[in-house]
Amino acid sequence: MLAIQTIADGLVLGGLYALSAVGFSLIFGVMGVVNLSHGALVMIGAYLAWFVWHSLGVDPLLAIPVVMGVLAVFGYVYQRVLIQLAVDRSSHVASMLVTFGVALMLRNTLVLVFSPDLRSITPSYSGHPLVLGSIVLDPVRLAALAASLVLLGALAMILQRSKMGRVIRATAQQELAARLCGVNAHHIYGLTFAVSAAFAGAAGAILGIVLPFSPPDEGLWTLNAFVVVVLGGVGSPAGALVGGLVLGVMSTGTSQLIGAAFPNAMMFAVLVLMLLVRPSGLLGNAFAGSR
Amino acid sequence: MSIVLLIVAAAVPFMVMPFYVRVGQLILLSAALGLAWTLLGGFAGYWSFGHAAFIGLGAFSAGLFETELMKGQPLLGFGLGLIVGGVVCALAAAVVAWPILRLRGIYFAVAMLGVSQVLAELTNNVDVFKGSMGLVLPRIAAFGLRPEALFYDVLLIATVVVGCIAFAIKNGRIGAGLMAIREDEDTARMLGVPTERYKIMMFILSAALTGALGVIYAHSLGYITTSSVYRTEFSLNMIVYNLLGGMGTLVGPFLGSAVMVILTQVVLGRLLSIHMFITGALLVLLVLAAPKGIIGLFKGGLFGGRAKG
Amino acid sequence: MSTPILRLEHVTKRFRGLVATNDVSFAVPEGSICSLIGPNGAGKSTIFNLVTGYLAPSEGHIFFGKTRIDGTPTTQLARAGIARCFQIAKPFADLSVRENVRIGALFGRDGARDIAAVTDDALALTGLSDLAGRPAGDMTVGYLRRLELARAIAARPVLLLADEPCAGLNATETEDIVTILRLVRDRGVSVLLVEHDMQAVMRVSDQIFVLDAGALIAAGPPEAIAGDPRVIAAYLGTEAVE
Repeated sequence: MLAIQTIADGLVLGGLYALSAVGFSLIFGVMGVVNLSHGALVMIGAYLAWFVWHSLGVDPLLAIPVVMGVLAVFGYVYQRVLIQLAVDRSSHVASMLVTFGVALMLRNTLVLVFSPDLRSITPSYSGHPLVLGSIVLDPVRLAALAASLVLLGALAMILQRSKMGRVIRATAQQELAARLCGVNAHHIYGLTFAVSAAFAGAAGAILGIVLPFSPPDEGLWTLNAFVVVVLGGVGSPAGALVGGLVLGVMSTGTSQLIGAAFPNAMMFAVLVLMLLVRPSGLLGNAFAGSR
Repeated sequence: MSIVLLIVAAAVPFMVMPFYVRVGQLILLSAALGLAWTLLGGFAGYWSFGHAAFIGLGAFSAGLFETELMKGQPLLGFGLGLIVGGVVCALAAAVVAWPILRLRGIYFAVAMLGVSQVLAELTNNVDVFKGSMGLVLPRIAAFGLRPEALFYDVLLIATVVVGCIAFAIKNGRIGAGLMAIREDEDTARMLGVPTERYKIMMFILSAALTGALGVIYAHSLGYITTSSVYRTEFSLNMIVYNLLGGMGTLVGPFLGSAVMVILTQVVLGRLLSIHMFITGALLVLLVLAAPKGIIGLFKGGLFGGRAKG
Repeated sequence: MSTPILRLEHVTKRFRGLVATNDVSFAVPEGSICSLIGPNGAGKSTIFNLVTGYLAPSEGHIFFGKTRIDGTPTTQLARAGIARCFQIAKPFADLSVRENVRIGALFGRDGARDIAAVTDDALALTGLSDLAGRPAGDMTVGYLRRLELARAIAARPVLLLADEPCAGLNATETEDIVTILRLVRDRGVSVLLVEHDMQAVMRVSDQIFVLDAGALIAAGPPEAIAGDPRVIAAYLGTEAVE
């Protein structure tokens, strides 16, 4: 029974990991940019949701559209102003450094605005556990999982069905060909970044009701996203979902079975192992260049 | 000539105000760390984003060694602690080297970030390491020097030692091999460069030197916790000093750390709360505006304009 | 007869289902220039990769002199005296021409004694002395090929593998490469060449091995190969022979 409880908890966390990583994965897949400020975007989402909840009493899940909107704008501008410049001028490692620099700036800003203290959000429906036999389900966690899955599904639909999604995918595969077909690649990259940042923000808002958070967590969420992508493969919501759920279950399993201090150690070991053994991810999407 | 210069440099702490001695300390420490990082990062092109791992590991292994096993002998403890810190880091590097050095580019960089996160967490959460409580290091005093003067001179010696090692490597056969690895690893192997061996050697050496510097840093603080030594900013700064000064050069880390430290400590000394912001902003600016660093600005011309792929 | 410098014995390499080379045997006599020819996909590159240790054969053995080398790592083979130049030149673009060649000299066979002299010699032999200070990334294709050769020669190899050194070059540039290959051979270095430029192959080779679809279909001196109906068939299709 403990095993089932662990898996249930892991799935909740996994949904969150998947959602927080899907934007990272998208940018990596479409532009080949490793965005080390992705975790900071997640944290901004968490703080925005916290702010709306704290000052206006609005439920974080209801605040998600607002959070996504704000971050989408931020993401678009961020890409057009900084990232594109970095990609044009320097190597990929260097453009990664730019995002690292931005992560530090954002973290510092969050500390200045919201203080370095731990924050958490308690929605009105918390504290009424659903008991199914011997498994205890917290409605907050259920809501978090449901919201994560709905958003992931929505993104998958957008990418598959909408015109914007098709253009994004086409640009990812053949930038030059897409350009020749009249696609403004820079605008598409900006949009991709906007989508990525919006989903990072949504993940942040959901994160806020499940876990306590503070600005320095951004590093961990970036690393999580990286591991999810390595596990699930790059560029697709399905890959992020698989990677996220595997990571979530693994993470709760490790803290249950080995000790609370070890999920990240385990995660890192799996990261390196995956890169070495199966650089294409569990689903086998192309993941070139790792060695 | 250079000996005279060294003696003058060593005498600095007796001539200026303590604040400037601390600034000098920080410049020396930063330069030495930048040099230790560049052995692998600048010479071979393997940019580690997690070298703070070795500062922390060196600091805590030496700290535990000195407080548990060398009670009452601070000076001897410090000397042996330097070796312990270096050796522990070398061993740790040797353990992770084989898998981690098969990764290239961003994958290596992020894997190193992971190493440092994991080590920091273990130090913080496993009680015997005393990472969350903190560790008080034995006070060392010698030759009747004030602490800041003592650490200044210790760091001066350390910087000279690391500088000599880096110089010997860069100008030796191995330096040429590392340069070939940085430019194109597959071609290097084709030409007979023992790429795996060189990379592992540099990784271990770089880790050991960083670890020993971590020991000195820990002593200059006197009291360490996980968050005071496993600092992401350290990892980042080691890259920034090199980028700012000139990646892959020997002068780069000196130039870069001097400019950075003076800028952040002296010019912006009162704005501690936005240090991280400034470091980040500077990093962004550097990558975009001067990817070849200060040296690159001077050299310009011949190798100037080429963008690297 | 003395031991050939390179000998392949019944070498087969399969990639999953695909047979890239099928039971290939041939020998490169010491001090000769031998050429591997054949249509695209015949298995020439696979053989180069096998000899330089990038791949290990599925079956069969490869001998370098008297030593069996199949499965030996690339680095070790380079130190033993097998050098290779690529069709698509891979210079260290940010380094100068001299530094490129110097790295070849530093890590070549039996650790050179006088690196500077070896470097200068290789630069002179390939006619690059005047360009030694230029960054390698700025050179044209013809000079890049020479640089590839110079870097390989600086390693003082026993056996030089040259992968289409004349591809895409004009007549004068091709002539220069042929001259360099002959000079290298005259110093006692054995050369194994893959080349599509048949004129160059016919003029420079002592022996020619013809591959088709992974199998060796003919071997012999240029005169014999030129008239061999199997070779003509492989290149032009069977109808041409009938």
